[in-house]
Amino acid sequence: MNFTTYYSLSALISAAEKKIAGKKVISFDLFDTLLIRRIHDPDVVKLPVARYISKIAGTYDISLPAQNVQRMRDTIEQRHRAKTGEQFDDHEACYPQYMQELLVEILKTHYSDSILDLVTTYELTMENSMLVPRSELVAWIQKLHQRGKRLFIISDMYMPGSHLKKLVEHAGILDLFEDVISSADTFLAKASGKAYPMIAERYGLTASDWLHVGDNPFSDGMRAAEAGIDALIIHDPREDQRKSIVKRYYNYSDGRAFWRGRLLQQLMAPLEDENKEVAPLYAEGYNFVGPLIGIFIQQLAEKCRQNNITKVFFLSREGWTFKRYWERVVPLLYPEGGVPETEYLYVSRMALAGASCAHQGLTKTNADIAFLPSGNRDFRDVCRIFGLDTDKFTQVLNHYGLSADTCLSHIHDGYLPENRKKFDEMLGDREFQREVKSQTMPANEAMQRYFAEVGLFDHERVAIVDIGWLGTIQRFMFEAIAHRKDCPRCYGYLFAATRGIPYPECEKNSIEGIIYDRNRFDLAASTLFYARDIFEEACRAPYPTLNGYKLTEKGYELVFRQTDDDVGQAELAQDSYFAPLQQGIIDSAERYGAASALLNYGLDDYKAWFNSVLVNKLAFPETGEVARIRNQHHLDDFHGRKKPKAFFNKRFTVLWDRSRAELRFNPLLRLRCFFYHLRERINE
Amino acid sequence: MRRVVNRRFELSGNSHFRLLKLSLIGKFVPVGNLRGGPGVRCLAVLSLLHYCGYPLYYVRARYGHRLQVFKKILDKIRH
Repeated sequence: MNFTTYYSLSALISAAEKKIAGKKVISFDLFDTLLIRRIHDPDVVKLPVARYISKIAGTYDISLPAQNVQRMRDTIEQRHRAKTGEQFDDHEACYPQYMQELLVEILKTHYSDSILDLVTTYELTMENSMLVPRSELVAWIQKLHQRGKRLFIISDMYMPGSHLKKLVEHAGILDLFEDVISSADTFLAKASGKAYPMIAERYGLTASDWLHVGDNPFSDGMRAAEAGIDALIIHDPREDQRKSIVKRYYNYSDGRAFWRGRLLQQLMAPLEDENKEVAPLYAEGYNFVGPLIGIFIQQLAEKCRQNNITKVFFLSREGWTFKRYWERVVPLLYPEGGVPETEYLYVSRMALAGASCAHQGLTKTNADIAFLPSGNRDFRDVCRIFGLDTDKFTQVLNHYGLSADTCLSHIHDGYLPENRKKFDEMLGDREFQREVKSQTMPANEAMQRYFAEVGLFDHERVAIVDIGWLGTIQRFMFEAIAHRKDCPRCYGYLFAATRGIPYPECEKNSIEGIIYDRNRFDLAASTLFYARDIFEEACRAPYPTLNGYKLTEKGYELVFRQTDDDVGQAELAQDSYFAPLQQGIIDSAERYGAASALLNYGLDDYKAWFNSVLVNKLAFPETGEVARIRNQHHLDDFHGRKKPKAFFNKRFTVLWDRSRAELRFNPLLRLRCFFYHLRERINE
Repeated sequence: MRRVVNRRFELSGNSHFRLLKLSLIGKFVPVGNLRGGPGVRCLAVLSLLHYCGYPLYYVRARYGHRLQVFKKILDKIRH
């Protein structure tokens, strides 16, 4: 036998370099040599295709489970292989032929070539998402190409050369090769050794000038040697280790739901040249925040389909990241379509708070919401939040024995309970409410014009998507449009719903937390409470928040916050600090879509693993992680700047606000904080 | 600077060792719903693969054909 096995690519390449001088032609095996698969078993890639065909059949009222489609595909493929075996030494099959037969058998008269094209495109997309070129080999091939060597790819595969070219093109190396030869075109394969003389004849090659590189000692090694070709075989233990790990995750996930999320992340993992050195924050975005958003988006799409939602509105500013993630993930998860259209909606609590008062006035609940943040103290803060002119309320305030500076929050010095009672009485005053409505009406009118322009009122059922936490934006938004006859049914989906204040659900308005919802006890996911702000900052769009809606002669104008003050500048600095994190999140999206489409798992399957990730990262973080991920600035105009009583600041300091020294040198700190968190959740 | 996946095929920032630590904590403190958790055997096998996988597979690739006798003994023990 004239072939040698090497145990690393560098050893193979240096050995090949010694032999290359006398060679004019170098051929490469494709799969597991030039391209490696993220998944251990190539047959797994066929499963999403079976599901896709099953869904296509469903559109023609043909009910056929994906397992049956896969079984039929295997049977037809075997039949084709057996038939080929009658005429040729190799038992090969050709994808377009047997896939056409399969589709005709399933779809009968509904079959058309365009459906075959759709299925083929999807199969190639799934293959592409799982294939990665080996960087060391590609770098060497580029050198060979520059030296003028004739380069070929030879593969024993059911896909014809034209299909394989698409895979090689996607890997970005097609230009380096003279041709891509597949056994599916001629039914002469490397396995029988018949491919080598056929290729030599077709391309005018001489065996003594030819070097072949592959991974199979039999078809790439022995058969090539029998044809007089020098052959080098790669058997990389690092690849064996990788595939073995993926295989274990795959097998374990079948019986233990815990491993499903870990398998997803292993399939998402960048390999070879994709796995470059990156900023630590990028890795956090890719490995931590990105997959969590992926689960959220996948479940959101599922909910939209269940509830026949026709349009999804991603609320600014976190919706900016959600929408971009959706656009990358959903086409891979739902290739058959049937998902709602999407829109990015410019809103904010500050912009909507005022608009929500135009028809219902200022309600007691909304006034209570204004006093939730510790920095809000008096009527001036209420006016700031709801966009009201304080001076115009002087008379009515005096009537109730109040002033704009009377303390109305119990955590501030000077608070008297009777003042709050007087304030509540004032909320029932007609004159007061008339003034509130007249002041907020223009903002409401402008907001409605904007919402009408983006099509909010053109749909019966819409999804309102935000990061969290109380659902205040959706509350204000619904209250601002509830008076309209064409007000749509609003399904609110939050990344996490902490529900500090009861949400007013009705038949046209509901809200639900996906990753965490306080209405469902979920201790692990509740660790989001540790550091909610990092998720906001990680997803936030890199432009200022919306301050309000302004009526203009032409219609409306969106008024954004200025960035020239200290707070605006701090926010810009935070955006720039978190830019690698955001990049990591977005880069994880397509790999999430491909991996999840392959596995066909959903939120329930992934939840256990990601619960452990949340606990590990948020409740038991490493000191460096806290220092790195902790946001440096967090803008919230809803919060006033007044200082509450001293006792309020002396409450238990949460883990993520602790000093670096404390985090590093206090061994039981994390456990103590976790017990505190546990007690808080149980007492809720 | 770091890589998203390290040479042991662990996720950067969420290594297998951290999972082992959390599993240990989970034996004494309720950490939430992990749907049965990872399982001791799975953890042991994956620890072996992540941390010792390369040398094991190197020996197997290099001298696997000479180790058939051990494989037969292992098969006998298993069955």
